[in-house]
Amino acid sequence: MRNTFMSRISPTSMRILALLFVLILTILFFSTQIENYLNARLFNRISTSVAIILLIAVGQSVVVLTRNIDLSVGSVVGFVAYFVGGVVGAFPEIPAILVPVLAIALGACFGAFNGFLVSRFNLPSIIVTLATLAIFRSILVEFTDGSSITTASLPDWLTEFARLNAFVVGNFRVRWMVVISIVVALVVHVFLTRFRAGRQFYAVGSNPEAARVAGINVGRTVMQAFVISGALAGLAGFMFLARFGNITIVAGLGLELKSVGAVVVGGVNIFGGSGSVIGVLIGASLIDLLETSLVRWALVSEFWRDAVLGMLILLAVVTDTFMSRRLLARPTAKAAAAKTAADNTAAPIAAPGARQAEGS
Amino acid sequence: MNLRAVSGLAIVAALAGTPALAQTIVAEKGVEADMVLLPKFLGILPFDQANAGAQEAHAELENPGKYLYTGPTPENSVAGQIEIITTSTSQGQDVVMLSNNAGDQVAPSAQAAQAAGTKVVTWDSPIPSSEGETLFVAQVDFNDIGAVMADMALSILGGEGEFATLSATPDAANQNAWIAAMEEALKDDKYAGLNHIDIVYGDDQSEISYNRALALVDKHPNLGLIMAPTSVGIVSAAKALQDEGLCDQIKVSGLGVPAEMVSYTLNGCAPEFALWDFVDLGYLTYYTSYLIATEQMKGEVGETFEAGRMGTYTIEKDPTRDNGSRVLMGPFTVYTKDNVEAAAQ
Repeated sequence: MRNTFMSRISPTSMRILALLFVLILTILFFSTQIENYLNARLFNRISTSVAIILLIAVGQSVVVLTRNIDLSVGSVVGFVAYFVGGVVGAFPEIPAILVPVLAIALGACFGAFNGFLVSRFNLPSIIVTLATLAIFRSILVEFTDGSSITTASLPDWLTEFARLNAFVVGNFRVRWMVVISIVVALVVHVFLTRFRAGRQFYAVGSNPEAARVAGINVGRTVMQAFVISGALAGLAGFMFLARFGNITIVAGLGLELKSVGAVVVGGVNIFGGSGSVIGVLIGASLIDLLETSLVRWALVSEFWRDAVLGMLILLAVVTDTFMSRRLLARPTAKAAAAKTAADNTAAPIAAPGARQAEGS
Repeated sequence: MNLRAVSGLAIVAALAGTPALAQTIVAEKGVEADMVLLPKFLGILPFDQANAGAQEAHAELENPGKYLYTGPTPENSVAGQIEIITTSTSQGQDVVMLSNNAGDQVAPSAQAAQAAGTKVVTWDSPIPSSEGETLFVAQVDFNDIGAVMADMALSILGGEGEFATLSATPDAANQNAWIAAMEEALKDDKYAGLNHIDIVYGDDQSEISYNRALALVDKHPNLGLIMAPTSVGIVSAAKALQDEGLCDQIKVSGLGVPAEMVSYTLNGCAPEFALWDFVDLGYLTYYTSYLIATEQMKGEVGETFEAGRMGTYTIEKDPTRDNGSRVLMGPFTVYTKDNVEAAAQ
């Protein structure tokens, strides 16, 4: 028992270190390619942009930890953004605090629907959420009759929320959206690693049978994972509404792939049971950094950008996996010592990791 | 039925009387025709407005047939459009009014529709080869769009400066034609001070357009203007610049819907933009298609017809394509802080 615990902690930290290395390498590479690259503006861009995808990716990672996947998140984000935008447009006097609460609740309902189908009937989540991805989007198309939400119909506080700074250091501006998103990620991280209820997600993903024998209600845990994913997608939908203002029926299209990308690049095992939210934070930052930088990189034309992005994501994953394996393949005696060390330093390593990622 | 025959005879007589200068065709109301309005995709305001205009004409013409507004979702636009044309053909609809987003890929299904008796009238965006299309109801002359965009850039930049284009998808037929027309217009000496430095694509999705606009800003430190010939792109770019507090240095212009743009025009982020009236375009498209579907008009070059409140139009050869004919609506409206509020109502 103690052995599996230690061997899990260690590769996770290794992965985070490897990811940070790739992240720094990427920044250094583009700084030689693009003029005026390394400045506060880059930080402001990436941090604000990551805020939305991070929430979705954190929810996604909880689901992936349990050996499932949630492909419906893009439609949930779009639906919530549209619905909440419609409600707040029709009743602008609703207290501000109720608006994100409504978004989270609505998202959680979608998540519960997914979770119910997956856990109650033991259906493969990839098929269930592929279906609900289409169903939720179709309901949105039907429900809106194809019209769109415009910035003009939203109350000022909502559209201004997107550009509200929590604090400013020099030219570095940290938006409230970024603070909320990172706080959510850290809370989920602590919950998953420090609380019994959180460790259950790892247990279910590592070995569902063993988890069952150990007295964990596997169905309920999977259900909870989907509700968390839905709720966070709902919160992301609220931020999406505040940031982009104009919500059409395609809002959030493709976010499922981006979130799965962030989760996988972030080192969460797609077959469940291992991974860390801190890794997902770095993974999401890395993907966003690549995307933003590629648009500015003159060498890559519009038509090749997606392909290059795909290749770089693959490269990042391969590098990360390769490095983790090499580091793990050291002699057993040393490894045991290293594991103990890694176990002791796991938390301090993770914390600067988080700060590094924000600084990218 | 009787009435229709009589008016048909009247038209024939009129045509016989003046073979060179055709008589104006006035629509006979109440003839049954099932009509389908097929936008590029559902979910953006201009197409909703076109739908409103078509509904207005549907009521005015007292068409006892069915009017259907249906379209694909954006990610499925090309395949969805072809599928809807094919379905409409098998349903025996009388006419499909198509804003084509599928390039020439749509031509075989349009030809099959015509062969089965379902007319295909394009509007907003034509079939490039014109194969399978009866005629094209053009909003404005595509070359005029280029000139209007160049003029707005000139006026906003005060005669000189750098600007970049934020378009829709890389393969959008009309946006590409307008950008080409703008580049052509820019060759004039009048625009010598303007430098068109980049084109990026926001795929007509708010979040992508928003991020692309900011990428343009980061990429080109001397950028003075983002020109977005798409209603999604222009409003996303304006929001992005406002969020970043950059409206003092960089402006947004292009083609936008007044209701979506009004706040950005009043606060100076987007001092000038242009558009034609999509309600009118839907209305004119419906009128034209009704005349063709009910065989009151053949759709041949030289035919002149009356389109209700909008007046008289003549079918002409389309000068912007090798083949095909068009009805040209026009004109353009350039919106500034002086007229945008009235138009946004």
